[in-house]
Amino acid sequence: MEREAFLDRVRHGVRAAHLPPVSDVLAELPQAQETDLVRLFRDRAQMVNTVVHGPMPRHSVPRSVVGIATGHDVETFATWEDLPAPGVAAALSTEGYERVIEDAGGADEFRRTPYSRVDFGVTGALAGLAESGSFVLDHHNGRSRLLSVLPLIHVALVRVETIFRSIAQWAHERPDTVSGTANLVVVTGPSRTGDIEQNLNLGVHGPKHVHVVLIK
Amino acid sequence: MSSQPVTFLGRARELIGTPEAAAVDRGVRRFNEMRLAGSAEYAVMEAMRDRVRAIRLHSLRNLDKLLDRFADQVIEAGGRVHFARDADEANQIVAQILRDTGSRRVVKSKSMVSEEIELNPYLISRGFSVTETDLGEFIVQLADDVPSHIIAPVLHKTAAQIGKLFARKLGVEETADPTKLNQIARDHLREIFLAADAGISGVNLGVAETGSIVTVTNEGNARLCTTAPRVHIALMGMERIVARWEDAAATLEVLARSATGQHLSVYTNVVTGPRRSDDPDGPEQVHVVIIDNGRSDILGSDIAEILACIRCGACLNICPVFREVGGHGYGTVYSGPVGSVVTPGLHGMNPWWELPYASTLCGACEEVCPVRIQIPSMLLKLRERAASEGRLPGWLEKGMSRYRTTATDPVKWASAKKWLYRLSGLVSMGGYIRRVPGPGRGWTRFRDLRRPAKQSFSDWMRDRDGA
Ligand code: SF4
Repeated sequence: MEREAFLDRVRHGVRAAHLPPVSDVLAELPQAQETDLVRLFRDRAQMVNTVVHGPMPRHSVPRSVVGIATGHDVETFATWEDLPAPGVAAALSTEGYERVIEDAGGADEFRRTPYSRVDFGVTGALAGLAESGSFVLDHHNGRSRLLSVLPLIHVALVRVETIFRSIAQWAHERPDTVSGTANLVVVTGPSRTGDIEQNLNLGVHGPKHVHVVLIK
Repeated sequence: MSSQPVTFLGRARELIGTPEAAAVDRGVRRFNEMRLAGSAEYAVMEAMRDRVRAIRLHSLRNLDKLLDRFADQVIEAGGRVHFARDADEANQIVAQILRDTGSRRVVKSKSMVSEEIELNPYLISRGFSVTETDLGEFIVQLADDVPSHIIAPVLHKTAAQIGKLFARKLGVEETADPTKLNQIARDHLREIFLAADAGISGVNLGVAETGSIVTVTNEGNARLCTTAPRVHIALMGMERIVARWEDAAATLEVLARSATGQHLSVYTNVVTGPRRSDDPDGPEQVHVVIIDNGRSDILGSDIAEILACIRCGACLNICPVFREVGGHGYGTVYSGPVGSVVTPGLHGMNPWWELPYASTLCGACEEVCPVRIQIPSMLLKLRERAASEGRLPGWLEKGMSRYRTTATDPVKWASAKKWLYRLSGLVSMGGYIRRVPGPGRGWTRFRDLRRPAKQSFSDWMRDRDGA
């Protein structure tokens, strides 16, 4: 159907609609009382089975990430190029983990397989959201989306000064974030399902283990 | 939706008391507990519900402008927009996109609207391979069944049944261990994801200002569907629009809490056009199919408010009728209180006029609805519509009209009361009415009714006040 004909029907509907009166959307967001956002983030992230490390200074991050890898069955890893803490990939390589690198083929060549053999993916978050224990990944600047979906273990580096109270608060204060990238994802713990008899199961499609390293 | 033309009562009779209905009841009890627990940790729930109600009603009032803006912004971001007037058109559009892009293998994440338009059978009969990837929907597809709950499609199935199904269809060893069943599904579906040509997703919310589409899942299958294949097709009911990204974010806060008590679903995936020049992965093409299929008729009517629904499922979980009967009793994709309004609205009163009667009008749905949608009053409006279209059975129609003339005439009313008292003497035993013939039979089958007192309440009041 043509766009205009479609919209005409909608226009007609809007004019005839019986809708109850309601106050306008207020500019102010409902606010909970101020609390320690870092602590709230830690608590809530742990509630959704995310393991939280730190807050720690930037230079301790590589060692912490290696420690996380040691605790799992890891052979291969990959990281985003522009992590908020330097030296992570080098430290993992030094420990003997095999780094999987995407071949530099440019955007027209479609590649999706290299990351399907990665056990351990490391990314850097744009923001943390305290109330839900979530972190936000935005994908541009060469950052792979599949790196946070395919591996069984996902580590996200989150700077404490980027922690907002909630998704609503963050979107309110940073309204332009979504248009700056073709894909943005808010991650709240490991992939989960309760579909079979409401049994909680982790890692049904995405990562089974999610770690957050907080950077001071 | 061309479901079986059996009546609601017929389906309900078959379902009540079955293990399936019991499983649904157990399941929704858990959901209700989780919703209460989640909301208790969220201090601003009530204020946020008001905000979301305002957001959704604002969207409906300005739907034409917002859709126009949304379409512009999707195109601006490099995506393509298609408009479908009805199910047929939507299905044709999707098939055409698949053909044009040379796609044969399709992965799908959960989408109510795709079930509404019966996309899967359409595509499969035209030679496309379509795999549902939400675990519950995957099981439904393997079993050739239909979902029984908006957010938990296989609420009615046991792990043992699923284990048998996997053994038969996937050739794996039989197990009733949910963890093993999950692992089997993960391995099986992972291969399919990576080989797929196109991914189809639903849309929880579209953002007019940015042309973004938001999908939420817990499993991550929507992320895989919209990232791994070259082509992403998003199906969107035309009412799923909000003005700004921050409106979407506010809505998501109450959506997950009302659905499962989670503070946020595990993955909130926001897609704004296809991959850009510095993106190493993501789809090369993003198509958004905006679907009317009866929605503009609902919008132009006295049940327009139901389009504000955000599909959280809370009204199903709380509904005493849904809990007895389960989703299958409603015979369509949208069940429970919301379905009893949406279904006759989308697909017409015939044969769906009786769904608005599948309610006790207790008001629990409106109380839990995060958008505070006035479901009971819309059920009443639809009942009125059914009656005025002459759809009620003759005995009920006649009875009600006689009741109206009697109850509005004091003299007739007084004599009717006397007659009723005498009549009740004929059918009561030991002060109780235990069984009556005719339409009252169903009611008295499980209940006894005390015989009415000789003196009516109003007579008693008059005597008391006179004394
Ligand atoms: S009507 Fe309200 S409670 Fe029911 S599914 Fe929609 S938003 Fe949820």
